Amino acid sequence: MHALDADRLQRDLEAIFGPRRVSTRAVDLETYARDMWPRLLIEHRDGTPAPQRPYAVVWPEHVREVVAVVKLAREQRIPLVPYGGGSGVCGGAVPLRGGITIDTKRMQQLRSVHADELICDVEAGLNGERFERELERRGYTFGNFPSSIYCSTVGGWLATRAAGQLSTKYGKVEDRVAGLTVVTGRGEVIETDGPSRALRGPSWTQLVCGSEGTLGIITSARLRVSPAPQLRVFRGFDIEDIAAGLAAIRRVVQKGLRPAVVRLYDELDTLLNSFSHHDASAEEPALPPPVPQLATGALPAWPDAQPPEPGFVEKLVMLAKGKGVAGLRDTAMKAALGQSELVNKLFGAVERVARRGCRLVIGLEGARIRTEVEAALTFAELEAAGARDRGEDPGWSWYRHRYAVSYRMSPVFRGGAFVDTMEVAASWDRLLDLYHSVRTAIGRHAVVMAHFSHAYPDGCSIYFTFAGQAPDAAQSERIYDAIWRDGMEATTRVGGTISHHHGVGLLKAPYMAGEHREAMAIFEAAKLALDPDGIFNPGKMGLRGRAK
Amino acid sequence: MNLAAELATVVGAEHVEELVDPPGLRVSPGSAPEVAEVIRRAGAAGAAVHPVGAGGRPTRVERDPRGERQRVYISTARLDQVVQLDEQSLLVHVQAGLTGLELERILAPRGLSIGDYPPVVLNSSLGGIIAVRTPGKSSARHGFFEEAVVGVSAVLADGRTVHTRVAPRRSTGPDLARALCGSEGTIGFITSAVLRIHAKPEARLVASFVLPSVDAAIAAVYLALREEAAPSGLRIYDAIETAVHFPGARLEPGEALLVAATAGPTDLAACDRDLIASAVIAEGGRTGDHGLAEQWWKRLHAGVATPGPQPSLQIMATPSKLRPVYHAAIARAAELGHTASAHISRFDPDGGLVFITSDAPLAELERAAEGAGGYLLGARAHKLDGYLRALRDVLDPNRIMNPGTLS
Repeated sequence: MHALDADRLQRDLEAIFGPRRVSTRAVDLETYARDMWPRLLIEHRDGTPAPQRPYAVVWPEHVREVVAVVKLAREQRIPLVPYGGGSGVCGGAVPLRGGITIDTKRMQQLRSVHADELICDVEAGLNGERFERELERRGYTFGNFPSSIYCSTVGGWLATRAAGQLSTKYGKVEDRVAGLTVVTGRGEVIETDGPSRALRGPSWTQLVCGSEGTLGIITSARLRVSPAPQLRVFRGFDIEDIAAGLAAIRRVVQKGLRPAVVRLYDELDTLLNSFSHHDASAEEPALPPPVPQLATGALPAWPDAQPPEPGFVEKLVMLAKGKGVAGLRDTAMKAALGQSELVNKLFGAVERVARRGCRLVIGLEGARIRTEVEAALTFAELEAAGARDRGEDPGWSWYRHRYAVSYRMSPVFRGGAFVDTMEVAASWDRLLDLYHSVRTAIGRHAVVMAHFSHAYPDGCSIYFTFAGQAPDAAQSERIYDAIWRDGMEATTRVGGTISHHHGVGLLKAPYMAGEHREAMAIFEAAKLALDPDGIFNPGKMGLRGRAK
Repeated sequence: MNLAAELATVVGAEHVEELVDPPGLRVSPGSAPEVAEVIRRAGAAGAAVHPVGAGGRPTRVERDPRGERQRVYISTARLDQVVQLDEQSLLVHVQAGLTGLELERILAPRGLSIGDYPPVVLNSSLGGIIAVRTPGKSSARHGFFEEAVVGVSAVLADGRTVHTRVAPRRSTGPDLARALCGSEGTIGFITSAVLRIHAKPEARLVASFVLPSVDAAIAAVYLALREEAAPSGLRIYDAIETAVHFPGARLEPGEALLVAATAGPTDLAACDRDLIASAVIAEGGRTGDHGLAEQWWKRLHAGVATPGPQPSLQIMATPSKLRPVYHAAIARAAELGHTASAHISRFDPDGGLVFITSDAPLAELERAAEGAGGYLLGARAHKLDGYLRALRDVLDPNRIMNPGTLS
């Protein structure tokens, strides 16, 4: 964009949106300059203003306004950045080359729920929590419960191929899409797929899903819903080690059983979690499991989501800073003094000596009769694989606190440390390799723990949480970048995927060529076909764009 | 050197054949690199390439929008190898020319299975099953066939080979494999695919039920599916078709026969069967002759011929449209003075297929079914044609990849 006529742009935008749904105020531009990418938070904590800001933010209420702004942007060659809840953790919504940020949050109608078809029609800007509550009220669930659910949108989910905590049963969002309404870079409204797959041709739905605003903007979607669950069953198990835990999970999912959620925590994750809120053992009186209620079953009210202090994120950060954590063998801890590699090794050792094993949390939900049968088969399968049943409490405890973690990060950054998560995935035959390679790669720079979640018949995702610390922002960023570089390279080396559900954005763009190699040609071709002028979210996802 | 001779140097003279009707060359490469070389040379010679699957012959030859030019039919007949079987992840990497049933025969002795898809679908080459998107390539138990595709290898118009990478799920941009699935050879020539497979189920159960009407049978099916039954097969016959397919079965006029198969761990297979039985009771039905269900399953899977004529029409309908589509087609035939019968099967999350058998004029039945909200096979989303054209302009500017198709 060269020689931008700011006044003219404002006039043109106001002609489309009226004066109240266009903003060029500094506070708005600063707000929309970033999402929740932790690297930007490191920068932000020092008070550095964002290097890239949009020229303007607009809030369309109707698809025709989106068409109008795309046409305007096309004529004037202005970049467009779609923006949902701003909860992305990869910088996908950063206006790298300025332009107009299109906030979808005023397009937020759940237009219909077609009970016979089990399909709903929903606008892209609807907040995840409100979407799920409105469905619940009608007796349905979409089944996508990301920990960002309180601050992310349906459109953001679709644009990034998001996953919720119950993805083993319901799938990721891309598994639940019947069709999308998209305004493409040509300024046309298209509907990908009809009410069915009766239509021949490639799947435009699956091309647009995950394109993170680089091909166009999703304005609404036909999504598959399920009847709200009548029954929810949770259980905690302990198992010898990660390898045994993974074998047990694989047995369950490959038998055709579909628990809603399975989580296996590695040694450090198990240890930190059992000192915080996940183990309702002797010191913590067991709470009765909540009775599932159709009206409020799926989502806890906001205050309940906060676990007792301190949570495991805080504990991980304390470890990164070389501080002891109550109950974690103070002397040994202090000896480590922030040397992450040592801490990581130490915990492996402590764990093996203590023979605590790994914690596995599993939950099933769904129609009453079938869920009961599946639960019995699932628990029997786990026990046959050597897992020891620890009763309902560890499972319900996870369930109650499952949204807590994401909202605990900001104080960590204010304290001079940083924390982030890396979610990779691989087929079962490579999963242990992936775990060890990535853990080693991250462990050179930071304290790292992991759990395995999102299990499928052919593989599983690994969720690494790491915390680091440096005296200033520049050094923090250097360590942070090194962690990602080494982690992504390790992932690609063993044949895993660099992202299971957080997306690519800016963070993983440099690794897209390694991820897809020559197959990027198809993505590049789709980019040219849907957004010939390259106005949509430029500079993201490793796309080269049209050769100059 | 003419193209035939040139291609003979790539694949061997015995694998190049001159076709008369339709005119062209049929080439059978023995490997993916040979496919790439054939496409490269055909493109350089200004010829068009068309994929040919297990049938061995080009079935539908579309007019070439850029004017007639030499056609090279590339057969996948020799691409019939299992490249890798990963029994730990339940993934198989298989070449495009192997049929689904052939793959099933390879997997069966290892206690594995491609899954409970309709055998008639699996009788095609896997490349063809994946490359052409039509309804009914699905299973109530496993979902749509294309969802079993984890990765695809394909040759693009310029002879480049792309391999989409394998992961259980990913969040790294569009699903590039799904651009190739359904593209009918216009974006790339599929040489192999990585598919999700399944452990052979511990138990298989079948059952039959009689319902007061086709409507009640459809209602019972959806009641059971909502309670999360995941049967491996379901079919509803109206009374006329029941009499043809199962001589000796006694149904009152207007009644319907529902046959069901379930599979999985024994308790789960029994649970699913019982959920269907329970839904049948709710809709006023009763348990039917077990032998009918066994007969149905055997015919479906052991290649035993079904009595009676082949269905004249298949219509896809979403769950709420199955009833109107069925009734519209039957009523239209009656208006025209013909009898018509139907069965409904291939239930999946999108809906199901209504198979009409009648000697009434086909176009009339089609119009009635479409008017009631059904989709004829081969329907397309023409509004997106411009985007496919643009995609092909980038990858295949000379339009050598199956020209005329999807345009």
